[in-house]
Amino acid sequence: MLAAPYRFEGFGLGLRRPHYGDFLEGAVAVDFLEVISENFMVDGGRPLAVLDTVRKHYPVALHGVSMSIGSAVGLDRNYLDRLRTLEQRIDPLFVSDHLCWTGVDGHQSHDLLPLPYTEEALVIVCRNIGQAQEALGRAMLFENPSSYVQFPESALSEWEFLAEMTGRTGCYLLLDVNNVFVSARNHGFDPEEFLAGIPVNRVRQIHLAGHTPGDILIDTHDREVCDQVWALYRKAVARFGPVATMIERDDAIPPLAELLAELQTARDIAEVTAGMAA
Amino acid sequence: MSLPQCQRAFMAQVLEEDSPLPSGWNAGMSAGLAIYRNAYRARLLGALGETFPRTQQWVGEENFARAAAHHLIQHPPGQWSLDHAGKGFPGTLAQVFASDPEVSELAALEWDMHMAFVATDFVALDRDGFALATAEFGEEDWAGLRLMPVPGLVIRPLRSAAIAIWSALAAGEGAPTDMLLERPTEVLVWRDGLTPVFRSAAPEEAACLRTLMCGGSFGAVCEFLAERRRDASSAAAEAGTMLQRWLEDGLLLSAAKG
Repeated sequence: MLAAPYRFEGFGLGLRRPHYGDFLEGAVAVDFLEVISENFMVDGGRPLAVLDTVRKHYPVALHGVSMSIGSAVGLDRNYLDRLRTLEQRIDPLFVSDHLCWTGVDGHQSHDLLPLPYTEEALVIVCRNIGQAQEALGRAMLFENPSSYVQFPESALSEWEFLAEMTGRTGCYLLLDVNNVFVSARNHGFDPEEFLAGIPVNRVRQIHLAGHTPGDILIDTHDREVCDQVWALYRKAVARFGPVATMIERDDAIPPLAELLAELQTARDIAEVTAGMAA
Repeated sequence: MSLPQCQRAFMAQVLEEDSPLPSGWNAGMSAGLAIYRNAYRARLLGALGETFPRTQQWVGEENFARAAAHHLIQHPPGQWSLDHAGKGFPGTLAQVFASDPEVSELAALEWDMHMAFVATDFVALDRDGFALATAEFGEEDWAGLRLMPVPGLVIRPLRSAAIAIWSALAAGEGAPTDMLLERPTEVLVWRDGLTPVFRSAAPEEAACLRTLMCGGSFGAVCEFLAERRRDASSAAAEAGTMLQRWLEDGLLLSAAKG
């Protein structure tokens, strides 16, 4: 029996280098921090020293980018061992990664590459999730990625794939609202249909981020959350209830006060939405 | 198309713009594929720039980008950690800048510092620790004394002015005039607490440390020096001086009987 992820309803930020000093002091008003797992899957040194100190002040979620859960050739055992070591060290709120693959034949793209939503891919993804969850001894969360291509081979919608995946493996979801918006715009589906297709009790965390506009929207995490994504967040909160929510900023990182102001917007929306539901 | 075939075809598109689209994949996918292709190049160039900022500054952004592109073709990244994308880059630079050895040596120094940053944690042996570890040594034990260097210590020979270039770039000063050293030297790279550090070392001191890294005893170090000095007492004194410095620098992890 796998340990289920915590039920946690707080509001957090990503731990990024420009803000290390603030979070090391532990005085920033966030409920949790999320870190990129791979930055801390190292032998020693300052990264782990920073994480250990931060962990004394805040709950921490581990968010990975390199598990390659959709890899047709299986998972990297060394990667899982490293992640397990980190997981045991900090007892995270969640361990998450993305529904994607990152490389093939020993060649890494270091990107979140899209999958065709087929039964074959579903079987492979579920096999890999089973291996990862067994290695970690806990249920994981997987995030819906932004994507820029659709495969003609796909027989399922993304939300059908995600729903089936959670049902077969017992994993949970990290719902990235910005990614839903970006992929919906890029591929012409209705983002509300996406939300409606996701099982209510499987979403344990929500990401909010900014994207770069254009003919194809690009998930750049380098600007503030746009109004349409806030609007979709309202609908997500109404459907999935209060779950851990964070602002994800990876580039053009602004002063902490700006991110905290965005996080307050998320808190306000969640509070108002919960009040309307009550 | 099976998933393995699909992933190989997709990766071919990421790596090479002219790679043919598999049948069934329409031209409408091309714009999206180009986003992944550009992101791949930009992300890896960015990672190399973060790992080798001084090298980038030294050769200039355009030259650096060309060398990085060459490296990605010759040595596509194979490890899950983006931090390791720079593995082998100094070797690529040695080919690209074959007549400028300071470029690859500066990059090698940056790579060693990069790796020392996340090397295994340790508590270095200090003078008090050494005194405690050897307090019970009898006269006959000293020749067999085993000194273990700290994890992550790298010793690298240099023939260029890479250290002087590093210092000049850090200080915003002008570059040294001579790119090649009159006499080869070596550089030691390790971590002092949480901070990666380096210092130059004479080839003789480097050889002594290599002896220890290979499991040789302090007695073997003394013998090595005595052979070069033909004078056992001055060799022992010099070995003692080196030992003191290693303790002060935090280069040693432990001391024990052989």
